[in-house]
Amino acid sequence: ELNMGYVFIGFTLLRNFAGQIRSRLFAFGKTQKLPCIHTSAALDVNKNWDRKNLHMFPPQQPDEARRPAEVHHCRRQIKYSKDKMWYLANMIRGMTIDEAIAQLEFNDKKGAKIMKEVLLEAQEMAVRNHNVEYKSNLYVAESFSNKGKYLKRIRYHGRGMFGIMDKVHCHYFVKLVEGLPPKAEQKTGFDQAKNYVEQLKSRTIIHAL
Amino acid sequence: MAMSMRRALLPLHRMRFSNLKNAEASLEVRYPQPFVVPVRTKKRYFIPPAVGIKGKAAVSADQEAKARAAGVVLRQEYMERAINIACTAGVFDPYIPPEGDARLSSLSKEGLKQRTEQIKQGAASQLAIRKIKEHDAEFTTKAFPVKAQEIFVDAHNALTQFNKEKLHSLVTERCYPEMVRGNRYKTLRWHFVESLEPPKVVHARCPDMVSKGNLYGQVTVRMHSRQTLAVYDRFGRLMMGSEEEPRDVLEYLVLERHLVNPYGMWRLHGKIVPAWAPVKEPIVKTVMIPGPELKPGEEFEELNYEVPKPKAVQWHK
Repeated sequence: ELNMGYVFIGFTLLRNFAGQIRSRLFAFGKTQKLPCIHTSAALDVNKNWDRKNLHMFPPQQPDEARRPAEVHHCRRQIKYSKDKMWYLANMIRGMTIDEAIAQLEFNDKKGAKIMKEVLLEAQEMAVRNHNVEYKSNLYVAESFSNKGKYLKRIRYHGRGMFGIMDKVHCHYFVKLVEGLPPKAEQKTGFDQAKNYVEQLKSRTIIHAL
Repeated sequence: MAMSMRRALLPLHRMRFSNLKNAEASLEVRYPQPFVVPVRTKKRYFIPPAVGIKGKAAVSADQEAKARAAGVVLRQEYMERAINIACTAGVFDPYIPPEGDARLSSLSKEGLKQRTEQIKQGAASQLAIRKIKEHDAEFTTKAFPVKAQEIFVDAHNALTQFNKEKLHSLVTERCYPEMVRGNRYKTLRWHFVESLEPPKVVHARCPDMVSKGNLYGQVTVRMHSRQTLAVYDRFGRLMMGSEEEPRDVLEYLVLERHLVNPYGMWRLHGKIVPAWAPVKEPIVKTVMIPGPELKPGEEFEELNYEVPKPKAVQWHK
């Protein structure tokens, strides 16, 4: 056996070393089948958002209202904080795509540039693959961000103390729908007052005779 | 202080006993091991996994050298895979359909001339048909076009249902991507109403690929028929065509078979679109085409600009 020479010396450290060499030789036989290790950081990401683009609808009858086209797009593992991305995602929710791109172009945050790229990609995809007629006729129906896979590093403190530093990453998701954005209902003061009075009037005593 | 020292040295104690799980432990001999106490460094209990990965690329080169030195021989891994080619890459010597085909009736003088030309069919085609009959006993110029039409109808029906296996058996590998590209997330509704004229064999060639004797037979069949086609996109909206309105279609289909292979079948290989074919109907949606290149300072003049039309050239699909 290869390692017999090392055993009889009997030091713990050398035994460790022997174990390492053996495992390395085994690993070498297998590394040739492994592709590049650093292709995608997160291999078990949820791909449901991309699968929404593959959902097929049956052909519509001529009397039905024309179904608006929907495009789902996302970008994974953006080197930005999910909380900082949230502010931008909230800003463009409900805007038309031209308005959203204009706002992001003149926003100073780092995430704005990335978000603008994602929106332009999604617009291009919609026109080319999803039979959207006019590229400006789209609005942002859903836009949100969530946490990606974090890399962990050591942050050195004084007195031999350390902290675990997270290198944050986030995912960003957007859904574009064809047509004009739905208008938010404007509730007048009179309507609100009327609702309030009706609520008061509809009060009853429960378990009464 | 004492507690932290003991806590620091616990893993060390555990490591001593864990290594004895090796084969050497079965001998039940314990050598006196020196007690190594790390004095200056503090034990880090948490080491992020990424720290150890640095320089792994450099390490693998050393590993190869170590393996060779140790005498471990790895057999050469051949990244090879055998490919079976069952169809040609295109249409050899395509048939050039005469201009005005199916527009002149057989009773006029020009129509008669066309008919006589067609009946002669050219010497090369006759030779090719003879060669095909050598290999395939059941081939006749009279029965084959009917079979070709059946293959055509079955292939297009399989395309609407997207039945991959059936489609592969009716259509060659070269024709398959052209039929299927872009249609995966679309609904196709195709219906063969009737055939206006009986289909006819117009052209035949027998090219051999790569090595001499590897014969493929390509036969062109002319078909005049009435069909309906409607294409719906992913959301069920009509993209092109209509389901109720049938259209008269004149097509030149190319069917191919690997003659040398006894299990070869006649399959649809492609279509020939003549140069004088009528322009196709535009799709429902409006499409942007790239405009002319403007120098800075120039303006786009709409009145003088003509949309460039494609050249009227015969192409085969």
